[in-house]
Amino acid sequence: MLKRNAPVLTARFEAMRDDPTDVAHYRQLGGYEGLASVIDMGREQALDELDAAALLGRGGAAYPAGRKWRHLYNAAGETKYIVCNGDEGEPGTFKDKALVESDPLAVIEGMTIAGYEFKAQQGYIYIRGEYRHLRAIFNQALENARAAGLLGDHILGMADFNYDIRVISGAGAYVCGESSALLNSIEGKTGRPRVKPPHLADVGLYLKPTLVNNVESYASIPVIMREGGQAFRHLGTPGGGGTKLICLTGHVKNRGLYEVDLGTPLEDILYSEKFGGGSSTGRPLKFIHFGGQSGSIGAADQLHDCLYSYEDLKTRGLAIGSGAIVAMDDSVGIVDYLTSVANFFAHESCGKCTPCRIGTLRILELLEKFQQKAGVPGDLAVFENMVTHVTQLSACGLGQSVGKPMLSGYELFPEEFKQAINWQTVERKEVAW
Amino acid sequence: MTTEEKIAIIDRYHSNPEQILNILVDIQFQSEAGYIDQQTAQLVAEKLDISETRVYEIVSFYAILKETPQARYVLKICDSSPCHFSGEPVVSQWLQEKLGVGENQMTQDGLFMYHGIPCVGACAQTPFVKIKGEVFPHLTPEKLEKLLADLKAGYYPELVGGESHVEA
Repeated sequence: MLKRNAPVLTARFEAMRDDPTDVAHYRQLGGYEGLASVIDMGREQALDELDAAALLGRGGAAYPAGRKWRHLYNAAGETKYIVCNGDEGEPGTFKDKALVESDPLAVIEGMTIAGYEFKAQQGYIYIRGEYRHLRAIFNQALENARAAGLLGDHILGMADFNYDIRVISGAGAYVCGESSALLNSIEGKTGRPRVKPPHLADVGLYLKPTLVNNVESYASIPVIMREGGQAFRHLGTPGGGGTKLICLTGHVKNRGLYEVDLGTPLEDILYSEKFGGGSSTGRPLKFIHFGGQSGSIGAADQLHDCLYSYEDLKTRGLAIGSGAIVAMDDSVGIVDYLTSVANFFAHESCGKCTPCRIGTLRILELLEKFQQKAGVPGDLAVFENMVTHVTQLSACGLGQSVGKPMLSGYELFPEEFKQAINWQTVERKEVAW
Repeated sequence: MTTEEKIAIIDRYHSNPEQILNILVDIQFQSEAGYIDQQTAQLVAEKLDISETRVYEIVSFYAILKETPQARYVLKICDSSPCHFSGEPVVSQWLQEKLGVGENQMTQDGLFMYHGIPCVGACAQTPFVKIKGEVFPHLTPEKLEKLLADLKAGYYPELVGGESHVEA
């Protein structure tokens, strides 16, 4: 039974602290019941459960997992690949790290269920280079699962269930979190995104149909299959089921990892002692950056009645994204903050497409100029245009997301931008384009 | 690091080109100078049956892989916004002052260098530095002073090569 406001994905963390790779202990705590349920209910029913669960992709894009799985299920081809995206790169996010470190077998079970569902033989987990030390834990968990007959040939004694998982290390490229870039990286290439369509469920790893899901999404799969889709959905809201791992950082007292039911009041998350505990600096919180650098910014004083759910955030132009919640107090100027964000994008742009490669740099230069209060009349229009163009013209999610923090921050605190302009100077008139 | 040791790593990954990142990262972490030298790039290219250009394409694309010798202790500072506005400048300014070198420059004794990197997922422990896989959290100038003294005295042998997490 799933209870509200109780840990689901983190439920085993404490109990398995001594050895999170221990398969027997994992099974005592409900482990591998999800896989057994899927084998019992059959593949079609498993897809229905996933739809009923309303699991939205936990990497950040919130794509319905049920739809993604059904697409792959119907994709033509014998060989299909299962890929787990553990390239957690959104600053302010460390929840996939926690799952891989503290309950790796849940991720493995989720990936194994996918292997069964799609009759795949090979799965890959891509673990970002900065988490290199976690490879040992994950490899040990894989080894223990193999020894227990839960990976490798004839899983659970079934003649046609042959599936294994390989670990690939990332090496410091945020863009590899983009799913097609991730596949290129697994193939041993530079991790630059591919042109889409085709969808990866049709043409993915080694040009074969491929499932790419986030670590937290895979860890949710065994729960959904064990407890049923409806039960999982009821933990959340109609717009998105389950619990969500969140990472509180910045100027809150209790920074760290928490698991919350989707639909928990944001005020509770920020201010209750159980979670954030309010401001750590004695100054009021000014704005909250949701979901990573690629997410939008909300003003703290406009979010009093906001629920932390997919739909409520969406109506406010915000999103859950990766689960990062970065709180900043009123000492932080929006121009300074966005300069830091722009610096990140300019650094991480892979260089494949021009709008992102050049545009992110131009945005950074403009913001640095604003920091020096050296803007001239007309610069704000140039800034808006530049951000809009990068957002609309970039080829992948990296460049397309730049507008979210930039424009939301600009719209919330226009006065701070205006103060960055020397209004006595000659206006810069941009040529229309 | 001997050629045999490098070949042993490549062999553990079955000379599979798909494993090039694992191979390069493992070799670099175990190498004395912390980078992929040309001899290594040639060796990897040869063993994986790909061109040396391909190896350098990989090395130059991925931020963790280095083309030039690194200090014995590379202190990595997260400069992403959650950390940057939660005390990170204390660390970078202190290091610049005490080490007397700019970002990415080695101290004369070859012991230290520091540079900013994007998020390492230790955002709740800021301000910190990361050396190899180890995060040193909640730093103050006093703690930094002690950390550098400890490193000079050789208290953290695991941070100088040696660690290995290689799969079967």
